[in-house]
Amino acid sequence: MNEENYILFDQYLQEELSNSEKINFEKELTDNPELAAAFAAFKEANEQLEVKFGFETERNAFIDNLKAISKEQLPAPKAKVVQFKPWMYMAAASVALLFGIFVFNSNSNPSFDDYNQYENAYFTERGDAVANVKLAETAFNDKKYQEAIPLLEALLKDNKTAELQYYYGVALLETNKTKEAEAVFNELQSGNSIYKNKAIWSLALAKLKQKEYKACKEILLTIPADYENYDQVQKLLKDLD
Amino acid sequence: MANTTLHPDQSYIEGLANNDSAIIQSIYKKFVPKVISYIRNNSGDEDQAQDVVQEIMIVLFNQAKAKSLQLSCPFDAYFFLLCKRKWLNELKKASNKGVTIKEEETSTNEPTADMVAETELFEEKQQLFDAMFQKLGEKCQEVLKLSFTIKSMEEVAEKLNVTYGYVRKKKSLCTGQLTQWIQENSRFKSLKLS
Repeated sequence: MNEENYILFDQYLQEELSNSEKINFEKELTDNPELAAAFAAFKEANEQLEVKFGFETERNAFIDNLKAISKEQLPAPKAKVVQFKPWMYMAAASVALLFGIFVFNSNSNPSFDDYNQYENAYFTERGDAVANVKLAETAFNDKKYQEAIPLLEALLKDNKTAELQYYYGVALLETNKTKEAEAVFNELQSGNSIYKNKAIWSLALAKLKQKEYKACKEILLTIPADYENYDQVQKLLKDLD
Repeated sequence: MANTTLHPDQSYIEGLANNDSAIIQSIYKKFVPKVISYIRNNSGDEDQAQDVVQEIMIVLFNQAKAKSLQLSCPFDAYFFLLCKRKWLNELKKASNKGVTIKEEETSTNEPTADMVAETELFEEKQQLFDAMFQKLGEKCQEVLKLSFTIKSMEEVAEKLNVTYGYVRKKKSLCTGQLTQWIQENSRFKSLKLS
């Protein structure tokens, strides 16, 4: 095949040919088996390149996830044996005592209040501070969620960003509008924003708040290990067991 | 392939393609232990087994992304057979030091064998393609890599500091070079077969 053919193949695949050119090309494909064979191989090369580079970032994320999950499934390495010195018994006894006090004083199930710490909202970082945006941000950061809700609702009407949705969800959750909050987080969860994992985490917190421990755990297990606050996820999973 | 019916286990394939942690976890729970114990019983250890599993999962991811993986048999048998055959191949490659293979009676029915053959062919083609790509000149590799990662050819041109017309032509011709090699290879294959 000569160079012109390859250029034509690419134009055809990129849908850059005019209608008549397209029809001509397709007709030639049916009449000329040699051209058709070359075109099939050209298409294959394109598909291979697409898999090799088009999905490279996704593949790397997938491999990281695989490694993390396979590690979880492995049995834990054997604990090191440490020689116990007499003074350590004292230390151990006091730790046991403290632990006892802690256990008897607290409910054995983890509670929502141990986990509902949120990052501050910074809606106005780009300096285009509109009065309402600033108000919503301040209300949220001062934990005046009741006030923040209508402000966020107004903002979302104009500009439905994942960031605003997330903080709106949190405000709903904090004001016990759990069902509405779950609806907001579910929408984020099915999207692809950077708030996706945060939304799944929040869904788990919503279950925790309603003391639905089993559902909470099930949701936690779906959070990928690359989630920025994965240590929190593991801590809560441990507490739930 | 189009006329076979899709097995409900296709959900595992979709899960892998979407990097769905819950699905990956369930594959590790339900299907991986069997692979590990097979490899351990056949001259391998846990680490080697984990490597085989990971390689197969990546092949499945790629094949699913290429939209050419439509499961027509149970995932369990398919996955196990793929891992098993990969491990046996590795043993064969490494073996001048006589290995013992405990062949168990796994009845492999036809759809599973077909599916496995398809995936192995996919992997083989991919490896061959990778080798061809490495044979390309540096400039070609760079243009193709950028064209397929960035998508917008205007941006690719800007990034490489050349004109749009130049990258478009270069992309077509570099893909053309690969095309030629793919064709030569398949001609070579059919010669070998006949």
